[in-house]
Amino acid sequence: MRPQTLEEIASLLPGGCVLVSGTNGKTTTSNLLAGMLRAGGLQPVHNKVGANLITGITAALAQSSDRRGKPRGDIGLFEVDEATLPAAIKRLTPRLVILTNLFRDQLDRYGELESLGRKIEGGLQELGGDACILLNADDPLVASLGNESKAKKYYYGIEYEEVAEGGLRHAADSKNCRSCGEKLAFSVNFFGHMGKYSCPQCGLERPTVDFAATGIELKGATGSQVDVSTPQSSLRLALGLPGLYNVQNLLAALGGAELLGLETGHIEAGVEDYSTAFGRGERIPIRGRTLFLVLSKNPTGFNEVIRTLRAEGRDLAIIVALNDRIADGRDVSWIWDVDFEELAPLARFLIASGTRAPDMALRMKYAGLDTAKLQVEGDLKKALDKAIERSRDGETIYALTTYTATLDMRRLLTRMGVVADYWED
Amino acid sequence: MAQMQLRICHLYPELMNIYGDRGNVISMAKRCLWRDITAIVTDISLGEPIEPTDFDFFFIGGGQDREQILVSEDLSREKGQAIRQAVEEGAGLLSICGGYQLLGKYFLTYTGEDLPGVSLFDVKTVGGDARFIGNVAVECDLEGARGMLVGFENHSGRTRLGSGCRPLGKVLKGYGNNGEDGTEGCVYKAALGTYLHGSLLPKNPQLADWFILHALQRRYQLEELPKLDDSYENTAHEAALRLTLGFRSRISSFMPLSGK
Repeated sequence: MRPQTLEEIASLLPGGCVLVSGTNGKTTTSNLLAGMLRAGGLQPVHNKVGANLITGITAALAQSSDRRGKPRGDIGLFEVDEATLPAAIKRLTPRLVILTNLFRDQLDRYGELESLGRKIEGGLQELGGDACILLNADDPLVASLGNESKAKKYYYGIEYEEVAEGGLRHAADSKNCRSCGEKLAFSVNFFGHMGKYSCPQCGLERPTVDFAATGIELKGATGSQVDVSTPQSSLRLALGLPGLYNVQNLLAALGGAELLGLETGHIEAGVEDYSTAFGRGERIPIRGRTLFLVLSKNPTGFNEVIRTLRAEGRDLAIIVALNDRIADGRDVSWIWDVDFEELAPLARFLIASGTRAPDMALRMKYAGLDTAKLQVEGDLKKALDKAIERSRDGETIYALTTYTATLDMRRLLTRMGVVADYWED
Repeated sequence: MAQMQLRICHLYPELMNIYGDRGNVISMAKRCLWRDITAIVTDISLGEPIEPTDFDFFFIGGGQDREQILVSEDLSREKGQAIRQAVEEGAGLLSICGGYQLLGKYFLTYTGEDLPGVSLFDVKTVGGDARFIGNVAVECDLEGARGMLVGFENHSGRTRLGSGCRPLGKVLKGYGNNGEDGTEGCVYKAALGTYLHGSLLPKNPQLADWFILHALQRRYQLEELPKLDDSYENTAHEAALRLTLGFRSRISSFMPLSGK
């Protein structure tokens, strides 16, 4: 008999389940952790980006299991929507729950942060004494959770004060103490409501951190260098992801990996592997601009690139070139599986190009891109010329290209004399 | 007048979505939104019951074998009957590839799995050894949405129609239902089955509007839908048609949409 329920399939995973939840950073954290697990020889079963409700987890398990319903993976690694977390804990009996942060951006769905916190607390109570909870100490609300749970609690956080912002921003969430309601005093504020804090009234303190970033050198869009101290070791890691929030994601993943028993070498290999995923892209100087050329050939690849572009800000100059040659796949329907809805708000203009430029343009229209920002130019050379013309001096033009479109673009750049011809095969 | 509402049921969105089928739901929702019609999309999956009167339009996409088996079992309970009842009462339905097969009488897979169908459509499907893959152009024979349909097919099932339904159209290029009789898809009341995925509705907006108009006319008094600027849709449609037929087609892509 085939196992039918989520519970039954999940219970067949030899390494159990890990849940990653929070408002931001779920995907980055779980992708980093997945890379570390793979480096350690474990195959994670992973849900798709955005499919972080119970149905998405069920689908991930169903799709990764064989005809008898046995999952073809060693460990479940699921991103879980924060409102779904209590239900997911109940049904999946995870061995580790990671909570990244709680921001106010989806209040229309969840009501007040405080009531969301109470719901999550209720979920954490379901965990047994052999489970672990890994919490972000820099987020006062997250750090206050888990007190009613039998599970062991661990914390990660930034212990390097040079990277702090001036003062707590006006719009910051979680400004008040969760146990007595008094306004928290922040001695250091990293970003948003993240920082070092204490309660002047009841004496609540930020928890002692187990996994700490003790030194951080931010290198803009290219990433950061991070010194990390854990119960197991001290590491210096080159993270190919920008911003302090990604340093927190790194700490969450690395803490999770260590709690799951991975060795330091696997953690390092996982970080390196992930950092090169976006590093596949090439930065080419061209007529006072930088062309950032990144191969994006399927929904997973595109979604990963779009996620990274979100960290580059808005107002971007973008080319998307979609080809349908044999090596790309003749069928271009898969573009409807890419979350171009997340790319649309990032574009100042977007030029659809390639052999299936009209299909690409249509996809962007339905993804919500204002057609005034949308241009169709099948010819790649003309598309590049237009992008250069419409962009500013010193600006980066992001070119997302399918496999043969990437080759076309390289040939074009070689012909233009922009790059040496070592690319030519 | 209160804002019109279209209630869409997306069946098994996480299991039955292969080759970008969800683009059809995106198309329906956006074309409503642009006309100031409220589109409410409800995802319904395994074990979740449906009330036939709760929805104006149903969508089910294609899936792989394992997903099809799960869905077939789920549909064999009350849910399949609820969908039939809704269609009998005039609800619209679009089913693609695997979803189309499961709404027929049965699907006998090439590996010998016998999947019972919902029997909404009088069609029977048997798996073949070779897959039918490629761009498709179909001359659509649907009242109110005549013209050309473009898409992509990728299926091993051979579907044959009984007398209880009629084909959606005639294949001009591609294989269609079975690669032999020149038919593609099937129509029963306002329910359609087809092998054209490639996200059918975005590039064939006249069909999307056919569904929207039919669904709205059940609940509201209206003769026709407000026109939209479909220049991007038409350009993509024409380009796909040229690519498929290999020449600049003189056949008009769209017949004007009207209530007649």
